[in-house]
Amino acid sequence: MSDPSLLVVVARYGDVPGGAEAHARSVVQRLKPSFAIEVATTTATDYRTWRHDLTAGIDAVDGVTVHRFPVEHPRAWNFKLFERRAFRAGHTLDDERVFIDAQGPYAPELLEFLFKRGRDYDHVLFFQYLYYPTVLGLPLVPERVVLVPTAHEEAAIGLSAYKPVFLAPRAIAYSTEEERRMVWRRFRNHRVPNEVVGVGIEMPADRDAARFRAKHGVDRPYLLYVGRIGVSKGSRELFANYEHWRASDPSHDVALVLIGDAEIPIPKIEGVRHLGRVTEQDKWDALAGCAAFVMPSLLESLSLVTLEAWAAGRPVIVDARSPVLAGMTRRARAGLVYRSSAEFAEICELLMDDPALGDRLGRSGAEFVASTYTWPRVVETYVDLFAEVRARQSRPVN
Amino acid sequence: MKILIVVQRYGAEVIGGSESHARVVAQRLAKLNEVEVATTTALDYWSWAPHFPAGESMDGAVRLRRFPIAGLRSPTFKDTERRLLFEPHTLAEERRWLIEQGPHVPALLEFLHREGSRYDAILFYTYIYEPTAAGLPLVAERAALISTAHDEEPLRLFPYRALFQLPRAFGFLTPEERDLVHARFANDHIPSEILGIGLDPPPWHDPQPFRDRYAPRGPLVLYVGQVSEGKAVDELVADWIEYHDTGGSGTLVLAGTQRMPLPDRDDIVSLGHVSEEEKYALLEAADVLVLPSHLESLGIVLLEAWQVGTPCLVSAHNPVTRGQVARARGGLAYERDDLAEALAAVLAKRDALGSWGRRYVERECTWPAFDARLEQLVDLAAS
Repeated sequence: MSDPSLLVVVARYGDVPGGAEAHARSVVQRLKPSFAIEVATTTATDYRTWRHDLTAGIDAVDGVTVHRFPVEHPRAWNFKLFERRAFRAGHTLDDERVFIDAQGPYAPELLEFLFKRGRDYDHVLFFQYLYYPTVLGLPLVPERVVLVPTAHEEAAIGLSAYKPVFLAPRAIAYSTEEERRMVWRRFRNHRVPNEVVGVGIEMPADRDAARFRAKHGVDRPYLLYVGRIGVSKGSRELFANYEHWRASDPSHDVALVLIGDAEIPIPKIEGVRHLGRVTEQDKWDALAGCAAFVMPSLLESLSLVTLEAWAAGRPVIVDARSPVLAGMTRRARAGLVYRSSAEFAEICELLMDDPALGDRLGRSGAEFVASTYTWPRVVETYVDLFAEVRARQSRPVN
Repeated sequence: MKILIVVQRYGAEVIGGSESHARVVAQRLAKLNEVEVATTTALDYWSWAPHFPAGESMDGAVRLRRFPIAGLRSPTFKDTERRLLFEPHTLAEERRWLIEQGPHVPALLEFLHREGSRYDAILFYTYIYEPTAAGLPLVAERAALISTAHDEEPLRLFPYRALFQLPRAFGFLTPEERDLVHARFANDHIPSEILGIGLDPPPWHDPQPFRDRYAPRGPLVLYVGQVSEGKAVDELVADWIEYHDTGGSGTLVLAGTQRMPLPDRDDIVSLGHVSEEEKYALLEAADVLVLPSHLESLGIVLLEAWQVGTPCLVSAHNPVTRGQVARARGGLAYERDDLAEALAAVLAKRDALGSWGRRYVERECTWPAFDARLEQLVDLAAS
C-alpha cells in the first residue's frame, strides 16, 4: 500500500527566515518517511514585500516536490493603511476583504490549484492562520484539513474573516496549551479535534560554553537573546531594562549577548554585545553558558529558541504581558516573569546571587521540553491527527 | 433568548417551502423569545425584484429587518448556471455564480458582521443562497443551519464545502436530508435536530360535495400543489392516462396553480388554486393522495392528508417522501410503470393506512412536539 498523501500549504517555503516557515519545513522533514508529501507555496521569500523572488513552477526542497505559485502583486506600499482600516472598531466586511488581499501573499493561482487538485490529497496541512493562502484556501478543502495556526493575541485575529479558518478544519495542531486556550476562548471551536503538537527540539550532544566564550571573547557572565532584533520582538524594552538594571546594580558585571540579525540600531550601552548570525553549534554553546535566556517578545505563538534554552538546561526571563511565554514559563516552572523594569532588575540580581536557582529552573525546563517537544511525540501526534481525518474520509462521500 | 432568523424572502404572501418554514419557526419562537428576521425586499426568487419596503417592520411579535438587494437576477442566469454546473470552470466563476444567483445583499452581510454578536442564536435558512453561504461564516460560533438540502448539482460547488463544516448545529427537515448531508460532507460530529413541521388542526371543511361529484365514477385520486413539470405532474398525467386507458377507473383531480398544459379529458380535472377549507375537503374526500415529485425536501401535503386519514402514494424516486411514508406507514411508494398496481394496493387497505398516517401526525406534528425540537436546536446553537 502506498503512503497516504499530504499537501502542505504555507506562504513561503525553502531557505527563508521566519519561525512558522522553519516550523513547516522541519515538520515536512519528519513526516516525509510516513507520507507522500508535496508543498504548495508562493514565489516569495520576504514577508514584508512578498516580492516575486523565486521561479514559479515545480521546485524541490530537501527532496520534496514544491509547487510555487506566483505572487501576483507585492504587498502594497500603503498596506499599513488597509491594516488600520480593518483593525478599527466599526470596520466593514469590505475593509477586511481588502486587508486580506493587501496583506498577501496574493496568489490566486494557488487557490485555483487547491480548488482543482486539493481533493487529490488525503490530507492538507495549512501553516499560519493569518495569510491569504490559508484564509482563502482552507475553505476549499476543509474536510481534509489539519491547521497549524501559529496564532497569538493580535488585532488581526479579531476579524470575522478568520472564523471559518478556526471552525472549518477537520483538526487543529496547536503549538502550545496557551495558544489552544486563546483560540477556544475566541472561537468556541472546542469540537474541532485537536492536540498540542509544536515541534521537536534537537540538541547537539556536544555543547561547550568555554568554546563560545573563547571564540567570541565573552569573559563575564551573560544574559543571552537569540532571534531577530527589532521593535516587534521587544528588543527596545530589553535594552532599556538591561540598562536600567546595570545602572541600579553596579555590583553585578553581566553582559547582554545578542545573536541574530538586527533590524534596528543596537544602542551603545556598556555590556551589550551583538554577534550577528552565528553557527548552529555556536548558538548551542552560547545557550549552554548563559546565566539566563531573555525573551522580551510579546507576540509569540511558539518560541523555538526559548524551548532550546530550556533543552540546554537554562532558565528564561520573560515578559508577563506575553500570554504564551509567561504561561509556558509558569507551567514549566522554568524561569521568572517580570511585570516592570524594576522586576526585571530584581530577577537578574536574584539569578546572579543564586546560581543554583537558575540551574534548578533550567533542569525543570529541560524536563518540560522532553515531555512535549520531542520529534517522536510530534510525529506520532500528527500521524494520529491525520488518521482521524482519513477515518472520516473513508466513509462513502458523493 | 434573543434569536435572529436569516432567510432570503419572508412574508405571508411569499411562496416557497423553506420560506414558509422560516416564518412558522419565527412565530413559534416568538412566543417565548425575542425574535428578529433579517431578510430582503424580494417576493420572488427568479427576479429578486424589490416588493416590500426596506427597513424595519413587525410581523406579529417578530421584528423584520428587510435589506435592499444590490441587483436583479440576470435573465440569462440559468444559461450561465447550466454551463457552470456541467462544464469545467474556475474558482472565480463559482464565486461569481453565487453572487449572480442572488439575492446579493451586502447590507445584510454587513449587518451580520456588525450586529451578529448581539444575538444568542442565529438560524440560517437554505444553504444555497448568498445570505447563508456568505453570512453564516461571519457568525458561525452562534449559528444553526436549516439547510433544506437535496441531492442537486449546486450542493457540489465550493461555497458549500466549508459552509457545511461551520455551524454549531443543523436543523434538518427529514432524516433523509440528514443522511444526505452527512454522506456528502462527513460532518456527523456536528449536532443536529430533525425539525419536521407542526400543523394546526384542519379548519372546518365538508368533503361531501366532492364525494358526491367524483365517487360514483370510481376512485378519487388527488394531487395538491403546483401543477408543473418541475413537480413531475406531467409524469403523473401520462401514467394516469396509461392506467385509465388500460381499464382503470376514477378521476384524477389536480388542485393548485396550473403552470403546464393538460390534456382535455373527462377523467382529469384541474381545479386551479383552492382555499384551505376546499383543500382539506378534497383531502378527506379523496381515496388517495398522489405526490409524483422527485425533489421534495418535506412533503407537507402528505402530513395534511394524514390529518384527515387519507393514505398517500409517492414516487419511489424521492427518498424524502418515500421515507416519510415508510415511517408513518401511511401509504406506499410507486414506480412509474406500476401506478395501477400501487393504486389497487393502497385502495385495498385505505382505512388502515389512513389511520396509521393520522396517528403519525398526531404524534410528530403537534405544536408542543415541534416546539420541543426547535428549542433543542436553538439551545445547540446558543450553547
